[in-house]
Amino acid sequence: MTTMSKTDIQIAICGSAGDGTIAAGDILRNAVAAAGYRVIGFDVYPPEIRGFGKCISRLRISTDQSYSLKRHSDVLLSLDDSQALPHAGEVRDMGAVIFESQPIAPCQEGEHMSARVLPGQIPYAFSMRELSQQATGGGRARNLVALGIIAGLLGLTPDPFRAIIARKFGKQGPEIVARSLAGFQAGFDGATRTFKLDDVFFSPPGQADTAQRVIMLSGNAAVARGCLDAELDTFFGYPITPATSIMERLAAELPKHGRRLLQTEDEIAAIAATIGAGYAGARAATATSGPGLALMSEMLGLATITETPCVVFVSQRGGPSTGMPTKTEQSDLNAALYGSPGDACRIVIAPTNVEGCYRCAGKAFEMAERYQTPVIVLLDLYLSNRYETVTLDESDHAFVLDANKPLPRLEPGETYRRYALTEDGVSPRAVPGDAGHMHVITGLEHNELGRPDDSETMHAAMSRKRHDKLQAALRHPEFAVTRRFGATGRVKVGLLAWGSTFGECLEAMFMAQAQNIPCAALKVVMLSPFPVREVASFMDDCDQVLVPEINHEGQFAQLVQGTLARPVTRLSRVPGSPMPVELILNEIRRLAQG
Amino acid sequence: MNAAASPPPRHHVIIGNGVAGNQAAELLRDRDPASRVTILTHSRLLFYNRYLLPGIFQDMANWPELLAHPPEHYAARRIHVRRECRVSAVDPRNRLVKLAHNETIPYDTLLVATGGRGHLPEELAEYRPLFHHFGSYEAAMATRRALPERGAVVMLGGDMIGLDLARTLLAIECRVILVTHETTFWPHALTPEERTNALATLVAMGIEVIDGDARGGVAAVEPGAPGLPARRVVFHNGADLYGDVVMPCFGLTPMVEFMVGTGIDIERGVLVSPQLRTSDPHIFAAGDVCQIWSEEEHAYRFYYGYRNVRAMGEVAAINMTGGQEAFATNRVESLGHDAQGRIDSSFWVYDE
Repeated sequence: MTTMSKTDIQIAICGSAGDGTIAAGDILRNAVAAAGYRVIGFDVYPPEIRGFGKCISRLRISTDQSYSLKRHSDVLLSLDDSQALPHAGEVRDMGAVIFESQPIAPCQEGEHMSARVLPGQIPYAFSMRELSQQATGGGRARNLVALGIIAGLLGLTPDPFRAIIARKFGKQGPEIVARSLAGFQAGFDGATRTFKLDDVFFSPPGQADTAQRVIMLSGNAAVARGCLDAELDTFFGYPITPATSIMERLAAELPKHGRRLLQTEDEIAAIAATIGAGYAGARAATATSGPGLALMSEMLGLATITETPCVVFVSQRGGPSTGMPTKTEQSDLNAALYGSPGDACRIVIAPTNVEGCYRCAGKAFEMAERYQTPVIVLLDLYLSNRYETVTLDESDHAFVLDANKPLPRLEPGETYRRYALTEDGVSPRAVPGDAGHMHVITGLEHNELGRPDDSETMHAAMSRKRHDKLQAALRHPEFAVTRRFGATGRVKVGLLAWGSTFGECLEAMFMAQAQNIPCAALKVVMLSPFPVREVASFMDDCDQVLVPEINHEGQFAQLVQGTLARPVTRLSRVPGSPMPVELILNEIRRLAQG
Repeated sequence: MNAAASPPPRHHVIIGNGVAGNQAAELLRDRDPASRVTILTHSRLLFYNRYLLPGIFQDMANWPELLAHPPEHYAARRIHVRRECRVSAVDPRNRLVKLAHNETIPYDTLLVATGGRGHLPEELAEYRPLFHHFGSYEAAMATRRALPERGAVVMLGGDMIGLDLARTLLAIECRVILVTHETTFWPHALTPEERTNALATLVAMGIEVIDGDARGGVAAVEPGAPGLPARRVVFHNGADLYGDVVMPCFGLTPMVEFMVGTGIDIERGVLVSPQLRTSDPHIFAAGDVCQIWSEEEHAYRFYYGYRNVRAMGEVAAINMTGGQEAFATNRVESLGHDAQGRIDSSFWVYDE
């Protein structure tokens, strides 16, 4: 047995919907974050509301920042063996498999977790139900007993758990809090009496001063926080997995700041209202997923042609159609880039981690207003639901929120030209109520005044204007459209990735480097307009370019090849879950050998 | 489509993860390659060598060093070891093993090889939480952690398992106090003269021997007082003694509770023929849990020691797969002296 010098522990909690699996994961990640560890976590839950289907909460706890979940967990806790059995093999050798020793229902041979524990793993059977009943008078606190077991077995201090449990259940009254704490304590005491045989140990967390600046956020929570820090005025939305929690958070927060949120009757109304608010001068946004984006596509063209700032957060899920609402995928890239009739250009950016969600959210409003265009922020379920400890300094709040060009002083008799053809393509924007700046807007092609004009000359000029002005977004202040990691100079393999998959790419790259494979990774955040120069420069340095992404068609690879006409190796998979790091690593090895 | 369906593989289930059970499992795999072999154990550990447990008081700190086989051995041999499984009952009529967690496991042949647990005389049962044990790795580690450097160990009884540990404790300069009992030197049955001589040898080795009977036997075990060792042993005559740990060493009791009610013949252990068959044709028993019919003695008797137990595992496996071999032993169960004049026992012999 060896004690790890730095903590890098992944814990998976698995149960059925209704077992409190996700709640347990939530308490655990907040407790370890409060203790000063870095956390990255991801919950998988079924499309059904309750009583059916599998829930898994996985979290990786580390001393230093991690970029993805690991393939193998160090600990698996089963709250329901019928769901957790297939996951026993995910635990590494000498890792711990914790399960219920007194399940209610009889089971046939092989249906209990003890049948699936591999010889190299360490089994721990606890009577979680009985402990819960003894401590709380019922079995509902079984998930808290389980948390106590994890804390006790791994030697975690119980105080952060107690504080978070008290906070989480505080609204339900002191009796519930007391029962919940009793359940946790029962598990904790039971585990501390258990002889530990596994080699999963926590080493002390990082510096305390760093821990104090770290907060725990999900991708969607970070988006909501970014919206708030960017002083979002109005949000319009219609619920859809996995974007709903953005609206839920803003619904709680916006009114506190005197701002408004409206749940509309559908996605078409949501985008229409967002554009309308933007036209009226309000900072406005909506959030949806792939099916909702499809409904919004026509109205997004309106925002493009009217040059109205608006921000759309799109969290992708498995498709097409209703598809797999609770599974992650990166298959809405084409819809985000091209999904409107006409040459409906727009800005599309994609954060790669939770901190990026915050920054992209704020920057999206900057860009929407500076370039007078719709901006799509492309997330996915993995990123939306992923929890990470992030450090948000005060300086991170500095979004430039007053990007509008000053309105021109109009001479007597002069008419305001809302769509004036300027050198950078961006026209001074007036909003209703700006004295003397009355103008027409329409979905029809128009002239500089905004009046309908379908002449060839004007359509060509306006088309050029709408496209050219976006090029400036590639140089948007304090926004890295791409960022290179790993080796500098020439490398055997270059990873080109976007969105949530970049974390897995980064982990794979570090592992490849540890195996002496010269490689680098380029994170591409700006997807439209495409950062041709940066991507081409990176590819110049690479013998081979690998593009991992979670979709079947290789949509990003198509974008790269279509734009640069250069070969790439595609690694396109649709597992409904994050891309396995080992899969990327194997492909790196294969390419490096070739 | 007339191909005859092949019969399902036979399922050999072994209850117990010790020498007998694992020896049987290995031979069952060889003799019945198509079969399923399942070992059920309440332990968290794979099969480890309990004969090496005294070593953890010296330099053997990590349990993987005790394992008889690496984990991958079991996958390679297709031996399914089910740990953290407590057998609650056996249903011979339906050939089912029932586990405490409500799972039922069908078997074709069943081997009971649960061994024994440390015996604790009834009058001392209430002091169980205050005792330190040595029956498993976890228990031994807990005892080791409770024992300070050069601490004092009180051994009540003094069976050969405890005396084996005593040799190690002496080597690391611990104080060993032996309180004699009728089970001292168990499983050896010594004449009074042999016993006197053996006790004298223990004293010569450095063990402090206290005549338990002369003090009326142990009346109580209590926590120690502040500034004194952690445990106090009180005798019926009012005398007392202190130790950092107190270990009951009264021999073994066969673990057969789950067999009660099966209709299988049980005395102290499971009664078996020389072929190790119980009164149920599908159930066998081997190791410290069983009493084997001895034609010579016309009685059922226990056979202890690594070599005997391993041989029982082999015999059971042979007979579970159609053989008719009888268990026989020519090993002399003797207590003697080694070259340094210390006691030595056939019970301690362990062959790698």
